[in-house]
Amino acid sequence: MSNLIPTIGIEVHAELKTKEKIFSNSLNTYGEVANTKINEIDLGYPGVLPTLNKDVIDLAIKAALALNCKLNKVMHFDRKNYFYPDLPKGFQITQSRTPIGTHGYVEIEVDGAKKRIGIEDIHIEEDTCKSIHEKEVTLLDFNRAGIPLIEIVTKPVIANEKEAVLYLEKLREILLYAGISDVKIEEGSMRCDANISLKESDSDILGTKVEIKNIGSISNVASSIAYEIKRQKEVINKGKKIIAETRKFDEKNSSTVLMRVKETGNDYRYFPEPDIPYVILDEEWIDKIKKEMPVLPDKLRESYKRFGINDIAINALIQNQELNKFMNKLIELGVNPIISSNIITGDVLGYLNKHNISIEDTKLTVDKIKQLVNKLENNEISSRICKEILSDMFDTDNSVNQIIENKGLKQINDTEELKKIIVKVIKDNQDAITDYKNGLDRSVKFLMGQIMKLTKGQANPKLANELLIKELSEI
Amino acid sequence: MTRYLELPLIEINKKLKNKEIKPLDLVLECFDRIDANKDLNCFITLNKEEAIKKARDLETKSVDNLLFGIPIAIKDNIVTKALRTTCASRMLDNFIPVYDAFVVEKINNNNMIIVGKLNMDEFAMGSSNQTSYYGAVLNPWNKLKVAGGSSGGAGACVSARITPFALGSDTGGSIRQPSAFNGIVGLKPTYGRVSRYGLVAFASSLDQIGPVTKNVYENAVLLNAICGFDNKDLTSVDKTQEDFTRLIGTSIEKMKIAIPNFYMSDVIDKEIRDKINEVIEILKSNDVTIDYVDIDYIEHSVPLYQIIALAEASSNLARFDGIRYGYTTDKEVSSIDELYSITRGEGFGDEVKRRIMMGSYVLSGENAHNYYEKALSIRKHISDSFNNILSSYDLIIGPTTTTLPYNIGEGQDDAVKSFLDDLLTIPVNMVGLPGMSLPVGFKDGMPIGMQLIGRKFDEVTIYKLAAFIEEKLNLDLNPIGGER
Repeated sequence: MSNLIPTIGIEVHAELKTKEKIFSNSLNTYGEVANTKINEIDLGYPGVLPTLNKDVIDLAIKAALALNCKLNKVMHFDRKNYFYPDLPKGFQITQSRTPIGTHGYVEIEVDGAKKRIGIEDIHIEEDTCKSIHEKEVTLLDFNRAGIPLIEIVTKPVIANEKEAVLYLEKLREILLYAGISDVKIEEGSMRCDANISLKESDSDILGTKVEIKNIGSISNVASSIAYEIKRQKEVINKGKKIIAETRKFDEKNSSTVLMRVKETGNDYRYFPEPDIPYVILDEEWIDKIKKEMPVLPDKLRESYKRFGINDIAINALIQNQELNKFMNKLIELGVNPIISSNIITGDVLGYLNKHNISIEDTKLTVDKIKQLVNKLENNEISSRICKEILSDMFDTDNSVNQIIENKGLKQINDTEELKKIIVKVIKDNQDAITDYKNGLDRSVKFLMGQIMKLTKGQANPKLANELLIKELSEI
Repeated sequence: MTRYLELPLIEINKKLKNKEIKPLDLVLECFDRIDANKDLNCFITLNKEEAIKKARDLETKSVDNLLFGIPIAIKDNIVTKALRTTCASRMLDNFIPVYDAFVVEKINNNNMIIVGKLNMDEFAMGSSNQTSYYGAVLNPWNKLKVAGGSSGGAGACVSARITPFALGSDTGGSIRQPSAFNGIVGLKPTYGRVSRYGLVAFASSLDQIGPVTKNVYENAVLLNAICGFDNKDLTSVDKTQEDFTRLIGTSIEKMKIAIPNFYMSDVIDKEIRDKINEVIEILKSNDVTIDYVDIDYIEHSVPLYQIIALAEASSNLARFDGIRYGYTTDKEVSSIDELYSITRGEGFGDEVKRRIMMGSYVLSGENAHNYYEKALSIRKHISDSFNNILSSYDLIIGPTTTTLPYNIGEGQDDAVKSFLDDLLTIPVNMVGLPGMSLPVGFKDGMPIGMQLIGRKFDEVTIYKLAAFIEEKLNLDLNPIGGER
């Protein structure tokens, strides 16, 4: 008997981060009072016509380029006709025949091996309005109607839930990085559907696929795929057939439940949208977008690695775009990348997370961090002092030197003063001296620690170390 | 009753400037005329209170343009803010728009006075005004005859001298055919010349709003007022403002005119061809070259139109679902699908439902390829053929209609008849060219229209030749007589 192999394809809808909607000049917003960001176009009133927001095309070109797609340079929009209360015109304006991008891929790393997840197509469309189902009635909020979306459809090449998660995380990172979308799943600015089928390992024919709609988080995508694979295997092993259907993820039971059986040949009567002329993407336009494209996460990772920054710090930087920008500026200024990345992804990020703010909300500047890092690098301050200085930098405009001055944190560079302290430390720690005589190196470190403790970290560590060794050798 | 509205526009304008009359005099006369012609059934909604108010407001303003203070009526598929717009359908019987169409803004900017909304075929689907939820419009020349359609209200209103101006819309002949049937001048401008924003869409790639008037000069004046680029309509074309009256009265010598053989074939009533031939003789004797030409596929334009127009219509009319505006059934329903089907079943008339079904069918599954895409490719051929001929001729002329106005009640059982009425006008919409119907004579007391078709954005040449013919023929086009 052959094995059953899962084949998974994923569709992602991402709302584009534009100021206005795609076909009208209503604002593209989230969380506003219902039905306040609308006009007659969003409501599909008789006589209205769509306009076309060029920013949408800009962002869609950016997405297509970021996902390594081939651009459809002569493209048009199509009408997808169906009736539903959330669809004010009775059709959705989308792209069926000429999606803006095709033949793309996203590269993921599965257990150390690189794999390309093929992108079938990426197309532009308008969002529908939001239905809010209450007990007796359904309420409609048209604020969402006409918000621009891109739909990104993979080829059926994803092998399991792990790959699905890696793909979605990577996609999310790219869309966020390129400034294409907020990709907030909880706010619905990114929505995922998964198509899952099983096939016999010795066959090329794909099995009947089941679609899981609108999964609320990336981890739920993993759970729902895992459950669905298990469910389908059980059905097939019982000798039954998989039915083409749409299911939804039931978070409580970590399972999928039937929404509706797919009707065969759903007929959307697609035809080219006659109210929007063809859009020609000329080289000039594409070049302009290419120039605006920021460095994407994969490239960033490579360059951070070259600077010797550790993986944990790299991930922390990539997950926080503002922090990442900050780090890049430091590197441009020639600041030590290892020390600065440690500070930024350590104490700085800790502070930001604690207060739930962005680095732009603090008084930290690239110049001030540069001063701080340089002092640390030149042993002018200890890491403890560094922390103390930093804690004052978030909310004052003072320079690093001013903070040092104000807090009385000036380094002790006076040899006589240091000698006195060292003598005291030696006198108070006779056990360590015995250890030292017995050849235990770590006792030097211990004694240095005692010196720093006594001076509240203000001793010049390099100088103190030299003096200590000198004193010890004279014992 | 005063008879100012029968005067040429320039004379009315002079009287307004001299303060001999006020806009209110014109508006009151207009409403007297509306009352006197109630039986024609031209209007669906009157705007009397607002019109009088506007006329009073204008008394303090200076007469700054030819159209100042002039009454106009608007076809009821062009939306007017706060003034009911029904598309002659039960579906929109209670619909009050929240915005003005682009052309309505233009009309208001020129200080014209909108007196009411004109009857039409339901959603502009028909060519005899008999599909209107509000009943047929009667032809002022013979009240037993149809006024044509779909802009039947516009045709009869201007013909009966109720208003000197009207706005119509033309998807396959809906301005030109009723203009021919009522003995008036109607122009379908080049596609993209006039913004469609606020025109309730029938077939988006064919629809155009156009001026309906008593004579050629006034038609050009109204086109001057309503055209222009609109950034709310992506198919609107940005052209520099021109004066469409500027070639009127200039010499037509050495003009080259083509006549498609099909337009003078025996599918057209002999009386109509005879009348066109009389005009051709006049033109020849004035040093105009006339050649007969063939245009590919022109004889297939009706089925092509049915496929393209009805496909687009089936989609455009999907928004009437009873959810946000317009008619909603008051029957108990058990599902949203039932709400849709009962609301649409009750709200739309038979012709509209027939066309939605046909349009849905030609887009459905494989049909989209077999019918719709094929129709688009033949449309391209017809376009090339027309444009090719117009590259060596100034204009194409022929009859507007194949028959004279027929009796009300006739032809309603034949679903194809209304399309055949538009046999000679449809190709012009398919290509997006400008086309005019000009009255050129009568048979048995009923008017006959000649069609003049120009190059894209060359309406000015149509006006030049039309004005020449109009002057030569010097017809009395007032149904009650006395205008010549």
